Amino acid sequence: MTTLPGVRRRRSRLVWRNTVVGWTFILPNFAGFAALTLVPVVVLFYVAFTNWNVFGVADWTGLANFRRMIHDASFRTALQNTVYYTVLHIPLTLAASLGLALLLNRKLRGLGFFRTAAFFPYITSIVALTYVWNLLFSPEYGPINGFLRAIGIAHPPGWTTSADWSMPAVIIVGTWREMGYYMLLYLAGLQTIPAELYEAARVDGANAWQRFRSVTLPGLRPTTFLVAVLLTIGSFKVFDVILLLTNGGPGQSTLVLSQFIYQKGFVENQFGYASAVSIVLFAICFLVTAIQFLVNKRRNA
Amino acid sequence: MDTTLVAPPAGAGELVVPGRRRRRPRNRVWRALGYLAMLVAAAALLLPFYWMVMSSLKTNNEVFTIPIKWVPDSAVWHNYLDIWQKSQMTTWLRNTLILSVAVTALQVLTGSFAAYGFAKVRFPGRDLLFLGYIGTIAVPWQSYMIPQFILMSKMHLSNTLWSIIFLQAFGAFGVFLMKQYYESIPDELLEAARIDGLSEYGIYRRIMLPLSVPAIASLTLLTFVTTWNDYLGPLIYLRSPDLRTIQLGLSTFIAQYNAEYALIMTGSVLSVLPIAVIFLLGQRYFLEGIATTGLKG
Amino acid sequence: MKRSIPTVIGLAAAASLLAAGCGGGSSSDSDSASGPVTLTLAGWSLSTTPEFKTLADGFHATHPDVTVEVKEYDAANYDTQITADLAAGSAPDIYAQKTLKNLYTYATGGQLMDVSDVAKKLSNSVGGLDAYQVDGKTYAIPYRQDSWVLFYNKELFDKAKVAYPDGSWTWDDYVTAAKQLTDGLKAAGSKAVGTYQHVWQSTVQGFALAQTPGAKLTSGDFSYLKPYYERSLDLQNAGAQPSLGTATTNKLTYQAQFGKQQAAMLPMGTWYIATLLAQRESGDADKFDWGIAPAPQFDKSTTGTSNTPVTFGDPTGFGINTAIKKSKISAAKEFLAYAAGPEGAKALAGIGITPADTAAVTDTFFALDGMPTDELSKFAFAKHDTKPENPVSKYTAGLQNILNDAHTAILSGSKSIDSALGEAQNRAKNEVLNQ
Repeated sequence: MTTLPGVRRRRSRLVWRNTVVGWTFILPNFAGFAALTLVPVVVLFYVAFTNWNVFGVADWTGLANFRRMIHDASFRTALQNTVYYTVLHIPLTLAASLGLALLLNRKLRGLGFFRTAAFFPYITSIVALTYVWNLLFSPEYGPINGFLRAIGIAHPPGWTTSADWSMPAVIIVGTWREMGYYMLLYLAGLQTIPAELYEAARVDGANAWQRFRSVTLPGLRPTTFLVAVLLTIGSFKVFDVILLLTNGGPGQSTLVLSQFIYQKGFVENQFGYASAVSIVLFAICFLVTAIQFLVNKRRNA
Repeated sequence: MDTTLVAPPAGAGELVVPGRRRRRPRNRVWRALGYLAMLVAAAALLLPFYWMVMSSLKTNNEVFTIPIKWVPDSAVWHNYLDIWQKSQMTTWLRNTLILSVAVTALQVLTGSFAAYGFAKVRFPGRDLLFLGYIGTIAVPWQSYMIPQFILMSKMHLSNTLWSIIFLQAFGAFGVFLMKQYYESIPDELLEAARIDGLSEYGIYRRIMLPLSVPAIASLTLLTFVTTWNDYLGPLIYLRSPDLRTIQLGLSTFIAQYNAEYALIMTGSVLSVLPIAVIFLLGQRYFLEGIATTGLKG
Repeated sequence: MKRSIPTVIGLAAAASLLAAGCGGGSSSDSDSASGPVTLTLAGWSLSTTPEFKTLADGFHATHPDVTVEVKEYDAANYDTQITADLAAGSAPDIYAQKTLKNLYTYATGGQLMDVSDVAKKLSNSVGGLDAYQVDGKTYAIPYRQDSWVLFYNKELFDKAKVAYPDGSWTWDDYVTAAKQLTDGLKAAGSKAVGTYQHVWQSTVQGFALAQTPGAKLTSGDFSYLKPYYERSLDLQNAGAQPSLGTATTNKLTYQAQFGKQQAAMLPMGTWYIATLLAQRESGDADKFDWGIAPAPQFDKSTTGTSNTPVTFGDPTGFGINTAIKKSKISAAKEFLAYAAGPEGAKALAGIGITPADTAAVTDTFFALDGMPTDELSKFAFAKHDTKPENPVSKYTAGLQNILNDAHTAILSGSKSIDSALGEAQNRAKNEVLNQ
């Protein structure tokens, strides 16, 4: 292919014009974002290589914080628990929120009520709802174990009071709380699928499952991508639910990375080390998200 | 291709519901089953809220009992009067409302604007910049909140409502969400508009905005709820009692009346109600004025 | 390579301010020495913690040209908020040390002024002074010293036909009594249990550390905790005290457990006296006959009213922010001396708070309405050797976190005592003490 000089010049003028236009769109948000988020995040990257304790000076310690992490058994526990949570929480929430959205994307009496109900766990104060879940999970007196005993399970799990069951309990509450939120994104996504596509599929004789497979799912791909990325980041960063439900216990059975960071930073005042752990968490999130981006791009191509 | 692109929104309540045109008896059974499934799901979802409401109508000692008491012996309505006297609920609600409205307006405006730049204008470095945006979502806030706090304090913003507005309004989340929806709007539509002589800003205002009402409604709701329920942000930035938000107020209220569970639950119910009402009113907009009408062809 | 982080951020802030075109006016106050002085003081939950206002007003009455302005912080997140304010240079002149955990960081981080000169002038009866020393210098002055004692419900003891504590109890006596109480109360048709040890690690570990001879937190050897946990598990298994699981999932509060007569005994700090009195008035606690006894002891060598019982409790003190203006320093030091001295102690006792100078106020204290009047209660309140729960060191916060994990692991039954303590020792060695 030969490019004439004139074409190239016109091309570069177009690029220039587009860059200016693009930046004018981005700038109002970017100005605030850069000043208030980007700058502190850059500082964080610097702090991670120091022994900063919040006050005064920080000594440059190079990779010491990262070397320390390798030998830190609590860090490993926190990492394992975070992965445990993420691996179960993402598919569960994805399926539950999509199911809810499909169920509620139709003409029904009382639709508004049902949608509000689904969104309720997300808007209810987290302090109140962890109170209730703790009561529900109470091993001896709680209704959940009461029900399990009634259906013949002699030794129901200890939930939040047992090292083996505390993580599943946290995952249940996490999924329950967030599915309404992602349902909302899916509902908006379902609206972007043209009704004509369903009509066409119907004319072709596709049954409900086939229509779901060949029309709904592909049509929802941008939404699913969005939900998956947000879920990934949200799961890796899970904090408040765990803090209020189990506080990382019993023992270290539900200790996750963001709580570990909070402990090292705000309880033990080792902000240098806490920042280094944040960077590892960030790197993991970033890596997984970047893979999702690549997969998404390839599929779209 | 239809180039009179600015589609009027479909009439309120007129639903775009695929696959629900023909009625057969078998459908009725499914319908009934669907209702049943939703009722069960709704009951499970609303359970903690139900417990909250019931607890707010109990006396203090009835709230935590073994086993759980699902219905109070007799409803204690005066909790709903007492709370206004014992707390600065009005101040808290006012502050929270100001913050939520300001943050939501800024986030939706700047977020959707930036999203258009990211989704529909091609220029070098765009994808990298966008990845940077998403990247910061992945950094846990508690790890950079101290540098951020020092920064805000140097700008004399801490202990003002502005600090929370700036903190929340320029998040990367809104940009990401809007970009995803803009990408599902076909480029052909924009090309046609460009040929018709519309500028990029014109396209954004006259085509993208009307077409993305459901996405904007989602973003509005989510931003509003996030700001409304934010606890850690106000906790770090606000000191003066006059500036307290509802979550901050509730938590000081809990510290102050730590044994008054019923009253605490009353406060919690009151903190949820405004959002519930907004959601109930706003959710129908998800079904309105949507892309399909403009895309025939 | 040393860089001050706030400076780095400050530069960035200045740059972004320039970009935004709105430089804030710099706050350069002149250091005028004479005339009225206003000190700012950080406290928490002012409506339920009246001590700050009481001390501020009391000080102003004796020093009319000094006004103390109290700034309210969140009680549960006090240290987080103070840390943020100190880092940003916007913290008040004087700030309370809510626990001892962060003193080391504040002191070594240059955020607390050396107040050894104030400490030297104070009387010997001020408890908790030593706890605020780092490298031989005193960084804060205690005004309040709570100690852990044993609260008991005389009416439930009578109902179960068990003899009241007499000051001679070791922990084994306490366990026996708790079991007898539980059985006796059940026989009498009551649902109350023998005792309630709250979910905190302090209820087991605080006593173990203070009382066991040779026990030292920073030694990294936690075997001293074992007998204390064996007794706690024994009480849980016997049903003489609610299990940790029940207490956490049902959000049991010690105020309701004791105040509503669900448990006959309660090991707790003396701050609960003021709460209990207030709740009796408001109706949140029943009005019953109660008393306090010295905390059960490690062995017989410290029991009996002729000896001094050993217990624990962190003092609460005031420190001076190093960023304070020079002209205010002497007034701030006077305030610290006032709060710790007899005048401050009397003012505090008047609102039911245990001052650092306990001996000066026992009579004032027991004159309050609703207080028990027996001699043992007075003895338990006035006389004890109170050791700090969090001895000040670089490692304290980290070690306490590890021990809290061990606490929940043991009492939830997730791990045996030996394996939980063994793991805690390993973690202490590899994650904290090697730093």
